[in-house]
Amino acid sequence: MGDPLQGGDPIFIGGIDFGVVALVVLKVLIGFTFVMVGVIFMIWFERKLIADMQNRIGPNRAGKWGLLQTLADGIKLIFKEDLMPNKADRLVFRLAPYLTVAPAFLTFTIVPIGGLFGTGENGTIEVFGYRTFVQVADPPIGVLFLLAMSSVAVYGVMLAGWSSGSKYPLLGSVRASAQMVSYEAALGLSVVAVVLLTGSLSTHDIVSAQSGGFADWNIWRTGVVPFLVFCIAATAELNRPPFDLVEAEQELVGGFHTEYSSMRFGMFYLAEFMNTITMSAIIVTLFLGGPDGPSLFGPDIIWPTIWFMGKLFIFLFTFVWLRATLPRFRYDQLMDLGWKRLIPLSLAWLLVIGAIRIADDEGWNVALVIGISLASCVVGALALVGASRAGRIRRRAEEALR
Amino acid sequence: MDNYLPLVVMLVLAVVFVFGSLVTTKFVAPSRPTVAKQDPYECGIVPSREAPQRFPVRFFLVAMIFIIFDIEIIFLYPWAVYHRELGAYGLIEMLMFSVAVLVSFLYLLSKGALDWGTVKKVSPLQPLRTSESSIRRVGLEGRPSRPSEVGAP
Repeated sequence: MGDPLQGGDPIFIGGIDFGVVALVVLKVLIGFTFVMVGVIFMIWFERKLIADMQNRIGPNRAGKWGLLQTLADGIKLIFKEDLMPNKADRLVFRLAPYLTVAPAFLTFTIVPIGGLFGTGENGTIEVFGYRTFVQVADPPIGVLFLLAMSSVAVYGVMLAGWSSGSKYPLLGSVRASAQMVSYEAALGLSVVAVVLLTGSLSTHDIVSAQSGGFADWNIWRTGVVPFLVFCIAATAELNRPPFDLVEAEQELVGGFHTEYSSMRFGMFYLAEFMNTITMSAIIVTLFLGGPDGPSLFGPDIIWPTIWFMGKLFIFLFTFVWLRATLPRFRYDQLMDLGWKRLIPLSLAWLLVIGAIRIADDEGWNVALVIGISLASCVVGALALVGASRAGRIRRRAEEALR
Repeated sequence: MDNYLPLVVMLVLAVVFVFGSLVTTKFVAPSRPTVAKQDPYECGIVPSREAPQRFPVRFFLVAMIFIIFDIEIIFLYPWAVYHRELGAYGLIEMLMFSVAVLVSFLYLLSKGALDWGTVKKVSPLQPLRTSESSIRRVGLEGRPSRPSEVGAP
């Protein structure tokens, strides 16, 4: 793996010349197209699958099986009147769609979508005489970049709701921001376990550390818990059911984008599904080996991409399945789950993994370390329960005074 | 820094994409604003009040607590990358740091800073709540002052 801070695409080793820039632009265009086609497919897929699960037919007019429905909707939105409420903060109202869409595109760039890992090629392919990774970008701070982008996405939601100058969008966006920042902490903590095992923040290094086959995937090496925490936190971060309090139609109309119409609304809609795809891709990258998988027949080079798409598809299906199955959380349950369960759990799990690894290095008695860790986890859990009970008693006393 | 070049290109492309779509809409979509269309959305009622500019302080609290945790997470990343090199020293430092954060977290919990809603269980069916009282509570503006007048010709 080399020096953890030296990761990066081999395309840049020889410096930047015209060919390199051309190839970078080509890669960005391919990534852009991948995301756009993915979004068009995902919106159709969600509507069709939800329809199937609810015993309806779903979109079936535009194109074969309604496949062109999303395109038709997009064209319709372009021709719709673009309204701006007269109470709106005009500049921020215009800015918000950019802040929502740009992070959605940017996050996808750090996902490796193919390339043979675990061989001499180490996830690279040769294009026009240049050797490059099968991912748009490989910044050395990959995972931090992911967290940064999900923080920026909060701004898009918050500013969209605030600038509308209307009741429901404001309520929706305040809820959304509180929810997204709460679960971002859990999201960040569960990824640290992956970074701990890999020793690098670059997504390419994380994938190549998992290339030894099924047993080497991070989901097993981190002991499943960070994977589960990450999946739950990612669902909340995406504002998807059962965490979709942000756009609870019964109480908030459309949530933060109630006042948006025409293509401005279309941008929020696109970003939502783009984020779903990106988050699934990130889960696959961090925990399920990314494009790792055996080559079955034919040319080897196509199989990593096929495996990646297959794993991605499982998560996309699961997100839709959750939406069709689960009722919405109550707000206090949502906050309790995030703060009082997921964050302490992932922090404790991370420290235990770290302790075991250090114990292994230093030659301590691993069984003893695990025992002490579990004992301290129990003490910590009891302290948490005690503290929240004390909080409840205090608040009951305050309510009685009122 | 070369590795950030694709990110910049992607950012430019995303902004161009949004800008292009919005400009296209501006040219091909009709623009016939009316007062009713430009009012804040209120489910069909004419809005009688300004949108609230203030919201519960609890949301601010969550944001501040988040900052504390975010900083902790940022401290964990360098340790996670270099924990092998730091060895037992790094681990013990990290444990002490986590205990410090945990204690402040426990303090927050015991203050009830992360609790939402009322502690008291409210029975969902109250005898006081009838359709008449609900109408009274929700919107009296623009309605006859007494619910009995609704049916009057």
